[in-house]
Amino acid sequence: MKLFRKTDILIITVIIVAAAAIWYFYSSAVSGRPVRAEIYYWSDLVGTVELVPGQERTIPVPQDENVVLQVDADGSIRFIQSDCPDKICVRTGRLYLAGQSAACLPNGIIVKIVPADGWRAGDPDIVIGSSGE
Amino acid sequence: MNGGSDRPHMGAAKGSGSGSIALNGCDHGLSERKINGTLNDPSAMENAGEESHRTRRLALSGMMFALALVLSIVENSIPLPLPVPGVKLGLSNIAVMYAMFFLSKGQAYSIAVLKGLFVLVTRGLIAGILSLTGGILSLTVMLIVMVVFRDRASYTAVSISGAIAHNTGQFIAVSFIYTGMYLWAYLPVLLVSGVVAGIATAVLLRVIIPAFERLRL
Repeated sequence: MKLFRKTDILIITVIIVAAAAIWYFYSSAVSGRPVRAEIYYWSDLVGTVELVPGQERTIPVPQDENVVLQVDADGSIRFIQSDCPDKICVRTGRLYLAGQSAACLPNGIIVKIVPADGWRAGDPDIVIGSSGE
Repeated sequence: MNGGSDRPHMGAAKGSGSGSIALNGCDHGLSERKINGTLNDPSAMENAGEESHRTRRLALSGMMFALALVLSIVENSIPLPLPVPGVKLGLSNIAVMYAMFFLSKGQAYSIAVLKGLFVLVTRGLIAGILSLTGGILSLTVMLIVMVVFRDRASYTAVSISGAIAHNTGQFIAVSFIYTGMYLWAYLPVLLVSGVVAGIATAVLLRVIIPAFERLRL
């Protein structure tokens, strides 16, 4: 088997273009929408934060005192502290678009951004593993 | 693994089979064997051949599993300056891919499963489940691509499809374990990181193949 074939260039191009197109349509569909953050602890919704620009504030997670979230002045939310080993949740950075999420898997905490008025009928609507949204 | 205790069998089978001089050590014994999977000398006694075949498979699977572990340790100790956290090249898939291409489906699956179990033991239940779902889906998709496209496929194409399948499997597992995740926001990341990781593992596999051939496994 060859390492590389000419058709691979086509395959790679199609994948990259598809990824760019999906990103473009997704972000233009959801940008500018008022959003809120939902905080999940092992699949249970344990908190909701309206994401509006204003005062910077920290959001403790009652289920785990080692994990702290912060809403920035621009209305984005991020993990600022966690005791997990690789800090992927903290490095994920700011979330502000509906559909984005950040996960601290070792602690079982996921922050999910959803539109403040819920998903609309015309939205791209693939949510995997969802239970009754 | 059990390589140490099995070595004498290999040497014995070798010696009785072809009548060539038994060299010291297992590497030399192995080195006489052909790469293309035809293991048994026609003149070898069937039992000895069967035994050495099984022993060789066991030793090779163990080596590949060890290689997978070493590669993931190497990978974890070199942080990649990527804008997306949590994205990895998945270097240990090189071992699984080598097994898939040059050994057997069963050995490839057993390495993927063993790796998942190792992660389960060392890093916990969730990490283990993610490793297993990603690894098994990845291997299954790569095997399907190879069956469907046969010689028209390349290492790169197979590797990319495996990497994307790996990402997708983990994404689905996270979605089910924690909460529903919105696919559109992540599909671009899954695809692009799959392409990058797929190319990287294919190139590295290609670099490693001659080294394996020199070992005459």
